[in-house]
Amino acid sequence: MIGTGILKGMGITLKRFFSKKITQDYPDVMPVITPRSHGSLDFDAEKCITCGICANECPNSCIKLDTFKNEQGKKVLEKYSINLGYCLFCGLCVNACPKGALSFKTDFELACFSREGAIYTWKGKEPRPEETPAQPGDAKTAAGE
Amino acid sequence: MSMDSDNLNLVDDLNTQEFTINMGPYHPSTHGVFRAVLTLDGEVIVKEENVLGYLHRGMDKIAETRTYSQFVPYTARLDYLASALNNMGYVQTVEKLMGIEVPERAEYLRVIIAELQRIASHYLMLGSTTNDVNAVTGFLYYMHDREKVLDLLEMVTGARLTSNYMRIGGVIDDLPEEFFPKVKEFLAYLPGRLEMMETLILGNEIFQERMKNVGVITAQMALDYGVTGPNLRAAGVRFDLRKVAPYSAYGKIDFEVPVLKNGDAFDRYQIRLMEIKQSLRIIEQAVQQLPEGPIMAKVPKLIKPPAGEVFHKMEGARGILGFHLVSDGGPKPYRLHIHGPSFVNIGIMPAIAPGMLLQDFLAAFATIDVDMGEVDR
Repeated sequence: MIGTGILKGMGITLKRFFSKKITQDYPDVMPVITPRSHGSLDFDAEKCITCGICANECPNSCIKLDTFKNEQGKKVLEKYSINLGYCLFCGLCVNACPKGALSFKTDFELACFSREGAIYTWKGKEPRPEETPAQPGDAKTAAGE
Repeated sequence: MSMDSDNLNLVDDLNTQEFTINMGPYHPSTHGVFRAVLTLDGEVIVKEENVLGYLHRGMDKIAETRTYSQFVPYTARLDYLASALNNMGYVQTVEKLMGIEVPERAEYLRVIIAELQRIASHYLMLGSTTNDVNAVTGFLYYMHDREKVLDLLEMVTGARLTSNYMRIGGVIDDLPEEFFPKVKEFLAYLPGRLEMMETLILGNEIFQERMKNVGVITAQMALDYGVTGPNLRAAGVRFDLRKVAPYSAYGKIDFEVPVLKNGDAFDRYQIRLMEIKQSLRIIEQAVQQLPEGPIMAKVPKLIKPPAGEVFHKMEGARGILGFHLVSDGGPKPYRLHIHGPSFVNIGIMPAIAPGMLLQDFLAAFATIDVDMGEVDR
């Protein structure tokens, strides 16, 4: 009989209507996220050895390392920044890091108001020593620009 | 519901002038940014023209500027609804070129993730097609189940859509402990839901009226136009690369290749439901047979394949997905050509569209299941 299929379907939807709701109350109730979730990237400056493998590995070049040479002549991290606006969350940097300084965390709320807001920066272990007073020559080039 | 233009033109005097409209590029039923230039006589399509390229990102060219391993996440953006399958096709191509033997456990893990991804992809097609023929309820029901697949994928790969799980030489992570009970639960849950969806959607007379004898692709036509995947099998050709030329661990797994014979929109819809059932069988066996062992082969840090070229094809969610890779011995590919099944499948639209009603065109287009990311690349 024509129409039985529709009636059967209506029966299913009616059953569904009276069963438990599945909508997540997201902003009020935080969802349960699996630990492996690629929410955002986390960086541990203590572990970083400034090898730069992560920056080389990144397909979109969104990792930037600012380094300087300290008194012992060793390369030290000053600032580490990841532009999450360009990040693919592919995890190549996390896998490449020989010291495990990079990791994924489940924090996924990355909305921001400006493009600059998507750049996440971490400070290095030691601050850059005070700059020596600028040479007259440097000032000239700066003025020229 | 398909009617000849003759039936509609009851009186010659009522003949109207043909007119041309653009369907898309921004149209909810074009699944991305596809533009169809339709020449209509009243509501009947006289001519259809595909206009592509709105999502062109130059993937083939991007590959030349990235190292072999850096391009893996980009392949996920080709067919973003079946990202793991694209990853698999690409890494297998590089492995074939370098002669890397992937550990058995990694092959099984790949199969599990690939089949979960296939289910997710088919589910989206079923849902969006149902939505396109104005059955919004069905869309929401499918999306509810698709969430469960995505949760499983996220549990393993860390990402819901663009997972970067496959690596050259294996996979990046083993299955977590909590995956096994969850997948068991899922395998028990889904068959009942599929049965329910069959009653709800396939049994619905209105749906049948909308889909049956619409956009018929005969077996000969499908072969002439190079249509592959579920669309070819719905037309009655039993061809599945997983069976014909088994790759990865598919040779050791028992499953069937479902075939239907009409090749209309209804069959193309139904075949996806049948394929999901087979995918469930594959996952169940793969989880049971999962061997112990390493998940990564010994691969050099900097991948430099020997100079030469290779073509590898596999069964994607939408048909045969192929990668033609040329290496000059350097760290970056010399040339990569991607053979996307959606691009080939969409080519049949101008052939089947004439004579259709505008509403039928949407149903026919939706069931061919193209992904514009793969068409334009």
